[in-house]
Amino acid sequence: MTGEPAVPETALGLVAQAGGLVPRGTRVEVFNRIYWVFLILGTLVGIVVISYMLWKAYKYRDTGERPAEDEDEDDDRPTLGELPTGSGGGKKLFLSFALSTIIVVSLILWTYGTLLYVEGKTTQDSADQIEVTVEGYQFGWRFIYPNGHRSTTLRVPEDKTVKLKVTSTDVFHNFGIPELKVKSDAIPGQETETWFVAEETGNYTAKCYELCGSGHSYMQADVIVMEQSEYQDWYSQTTPAPEENDSGPESGEGESTETGGESE
Amino acid sequence: MTDDTPDDGSIETDGGHATEELPAGEDHDDHGLPPMSSVKRWFLTTNHKDIGILYIGTALFFLVFGGILALLMRIQLWAPRAPGEGLLGPLAYNQAVSAHGLLMVFWFISPFAFGFANYVVPLQIGAKDLAFPRLNALSYWLYLFSGLLFGVSFFQKATFSGGWTMYAPLNIPAYTPEVGATTAILALVMFVASVTVSSVNFLTTMHRWRAEDLRLRDLPLFSSSILLTVWMMLFAFAALLAALIVLSADRLLGTTYFVTQEGGSLLWAHLFWFFGHPEVYIVFFPALGVMAEVFQTFTGKRIVGRKWFVAAMVLVALQSFVVWMHHMFLTAINLQIKTLFMATTIGISLPFDLMVFALIYTLIKGRIRFTTPFLFSFGALLLFIIGGITGVFLGAVVLDYEFRGTYWVVAHFHYVMVGGATALFGALYYWYPKITGKMYDEFLGKVHFALYFVGFNLLYFPMFLAWQTPRRVFDYNPAYTPWHRLATIGGFILAVSFLVMFYNLYRSLQTGADADDNPWEYSSTAEWAISSPPPLENFPGLPSYKGGKLNFVSKVTGGATDGGEVTDGGTAVATAAGAGHGTAAATAHEEEHASHASFWPFLLSLAGFLTFVGVSGINKGGLYTPLAAVGGLGVAGSLVGMAREPFTVPSPELAEKWPFDGVEDMKLGMWIFLASDVVLFGAFIGSYLFMRVAEGWRNWHHLIPADHVVMPGLINTYLLLTSSFAVVLAMVAAERGSNKGVVASLVATLALGIGFLINKGIEWQHLFHVHSEAFPEGWELSTNIASSTFYLTTGLHGAHVIVGLLITLYMIPRAWRGAYSGNDKPIEYFGLYWHFVDIVWLFLFPLFYIL
Repeated sequence: MTGEPAVPETALGLVAQAGGLVPRGTRVEVFNRIYWVFLILGTLVGIVVISYMLWKAYKYRDTGERPAEDEDEDDDRPTLGELPTGSGGGKKLFLSFALSTIIVVSLILWTYGTLLYVEGKTTQDSADQIEVTVEGYQFGWRFIYPNGHRSTTLRVPEDKTVKLKVTSTDVFHNFGIPELKVKSDAIPGQETETWFVAEETGNYTAKCYELCGSGHSYMQADVIVMEQSEYQDWYSQTTPAPEENDSGPESGEGESTETGGESE
Repeated sequence: MTDDTPDDGSIETDGGHATEELPAGEDHDDHGLPPMSSVKRWFLTTNHKDIGILYIGTALFFLVFGGILALLMRIQLWAPRAPGEGLLGPLAYNQAVSAHGLLMVFWFISPFAFGFANYVVPLQIGAKDLAFPRLNALSYWLYLFSGLLFGVSFFQKATFSGGWTMYAPLNIPAYTPEVGATTAILALVMFVASVTVSSVNFLTTMHRWRAEDLRLRDLPLFSSSILLTVWMMLFAFAALLAALIVLSADRLLGTTYFVTQEGGSLLWAHLFWFFGHPEVYIVFFPALGVMAEVFQTFTGKRIVGRKWFVAAMVLVALQSFVVWMHHMFLTAINLQIKTLFMATTIGISLPFDLMVFALIYTLIKGRIRFTTPFLFSFGALLLFIIGGITGVFLGAVVLDYEFRGTYWVVAHFHYVMVGGATALFGALYYWYPKITGKMYDEFLGKVHFALYFVGFNLLYFPMFLAWQTPRRVFDYNPAYTPWHRLATIGGFILAVSFLVMFYNLYRSLQTGADADDNPWEYSSTAEWAISSPPPLENFPGLPSYKGGKLNFVSKVTGGATDGGEVTDGGTAVATAAGAGHGTAAATAHEEEHASHASFWPFLLSLAGFLTFVGVSGINKGGLYTPLAAVGGLGVAGSLVGMAREPFTVPSPELAEKWPFDGVEDMKLGMWIFLASDVVLFGAFIGSYLFMRVAEGWRNWHHLIPADHVVMPGLINTYLLLTSSFAVVLAMVAAERGSNKGVVASLVATLALGIGFLINKGIEWQHLFHVHSEAFPEGWELSTNIASSTFYLTTGLHGAHVIVGLLITLYMIPRAWRGAYSGNDKPIEYFGLYWHFVDIVWLFLFPLFYIL
């Protein structure tokens, strides 16, 4: 983990971040914490509302019996040709509405604190991080390191903030590493920024999350998380050479479509 | 004819016997329309009920079409596939994904809902038809042919394969070069034309043709939901039209909007989602209206908090235009904007909470009958609750980051949109007895529901569990294989449920029991107060809600009724059976003038279809060019034919018209159309500004040759302003009854307009062939983004001028023959359009010539 996040000085942010309620840490931690809270609350609300609905529907099913005329409330049924009006029960309606509003708004405010944390980290610069440019192309990913080294495999050190600048050389792609919960649009002519921290060494897969053509299903890249020292060794040996050996189709395909933007 | 004229006591029960003779009576009293059994009728009809049936049938066809594509996808997803494995190749799979989305969203759900709207809304509001019956037929035929055009695209190498969101720049020929991709875009353009015509028609009708004392707030909830839907459609689809025109130009004319590195891709996303988010509500609102209606009928309870329900819908309709960027949280938008759109997104979810609770509380103390329509509506509510809760996840931006582009989104919006469609299937059963006069088979209906509900949840719920699968891929993590298999099985069960439905619909039509006028206890809306099916002109007299209840009133004497000055004194409430007969006779007599048949809407749409097929491959030459020419001639001919055809639509004498009492139907229609045109031009101007800002406001000047000077624009400004003045003179002359004055003024308008075009032509020719250092090849449409925006935006305006001049050309000989003598209305309507075109120029001139 690198230093304290830069928290924008908004009242909302301060309120939301008070008391250490706001999940921080790697993106995986942040996601999991929020996701599970949402999932449990959402399931609970869903079960309560749907059971209530089923119960009432069952309870007030038409049994075919028609009560005597003098039972006033049941007598007031819609009649053909009337001008529409509502029936009572407004108080209960507003109570439930208020309750649902409180749940939804507080959930979102709570996550807003995390959003500020996540976004703050994107704009924050620190010496203890590495930065990689990601270029999407039909159909693969190219990673460009600060020293000019280019590769179709992303190698990063563990436990270190990795900042990504994501763009595309042809169509709209979306770069995501599902296990590391990082994702960003890759838009031609634009650069989007995001970050992640990988806590465990190992092999992961980056995928494309925006339909980009016939190779979309297979637009993947290997992500290798290395120990910090191992990474240092590897990085010091890299050169600004255009590409790695194992990057078969990369340059040819990437370049050929780069100019495809011109109209006919 | 009918004697179940309501009087306060016993409306529901005394229908019955007399209605038997109605269908027979209708066949005789057909106003030049062949009987329903004749194929010819369906090509000719302009009646809203016929067109409603056509819409429903056609929408179901597209449901099958889109559904088969979905099944193909589900088969492909049975297992993770290597390239080339399975039923579909990569490109075929992308086509299936894209076409499935487009067909279901555009050609199935909304038109299905509008089939019911067509049939039911005029009945609910007490109108004899829509305000512009021929335009209604035109909407339908444009819709059908746009769908057929989409079908054609499959046979031109490949249809569009860039997803239903059509993200740029995958949507341009450099990446999707197939002719079929262009055809699919043009099919959408044609579909938008249908939607726009339909929106103008519904809005005019619903604002001006309501029964007496039926205030806007008193509309039944289905009609309310349709009214709000149509308002959203009017504006949202105009934005889509702008996006589609730009895309078509990029594909066919070589403009460079979406290939431009700076901003091109994001421009599409903004334009598309500005349309796309309201579209979600456009699709869902009618379903909500159906749910409210069906809940009220089958619980036997009025909707709890009805006015808040309506208020919530109004709020959503307004807010729907300020949430679009939540589809773009991962593009490079800044934190402030993300915060704003997060807030509006949460804001728009809250009214839905209220509506859901209102429906649930309506169950309490009800007398709930679990008929097929109720089961479908109840099921729809349940599915919508799941869709809504999973939507809150997406509202949390941090979670949205991770859900973006995954099956979570797929599952969520299918729960919402197909959840909505669930209620619409309920609507099919609910109104089936009214539309056909036959009862459907209740048992088969319930079987359909059971299969449907099980199939639905088996299909979509596993997608939540396999949510980490990226959208639109067929090579997924093998760990999710069981969930995807379950979904595939669910998909097939869902498909089978529709076989049951089609069998039921077909079988019941043959052998179903005759339906009563009002087969549902506790129904309250006006369509149930008339026979099943209703007669051609709907009501046994003029519907009125004077006194807070539906009555059918008629004039006392049949003779002196051509004035239309109906007052309280001149009307009588028909209560007795005898009076009812008199009423029917009187109305039938009076309405002999109303026309119900026209062949032109069909021909016009057919010609439009041919034109678009031709245009799709116009760059390829061959047969395409002559086809486009033939189609174009057909369009022109049909338009003239339609304009010359005598077609009478008597406006209701007695109607609730707030807030448009003082405006005629035509004028209101023109205003509404122009409102959508404002959005169209707004989107074009917005696109220009967006691209210019992306390029750098000052840098823009480097993209423009020095020869692009102010003078031609200035001259054109004068020409147009003067021509607007000439139209005003034509109106004055018409009021004075001076034919010569009218002709002279219109000729002046025409001449000034032609002057405008000639001047523009000279200017463009000059710019095309500029030879400067910076632009050695001239300054053409494809030169750069500045030239593209300039030519396309002012070109769109020029096209508006040309349309205006063609109308003038049509009006001049008519003016010569005295058509406008003392009747300046047509000139006024034209003037509205012409002044609007003029005003647009006053915006374009500074933007494209001075700044």
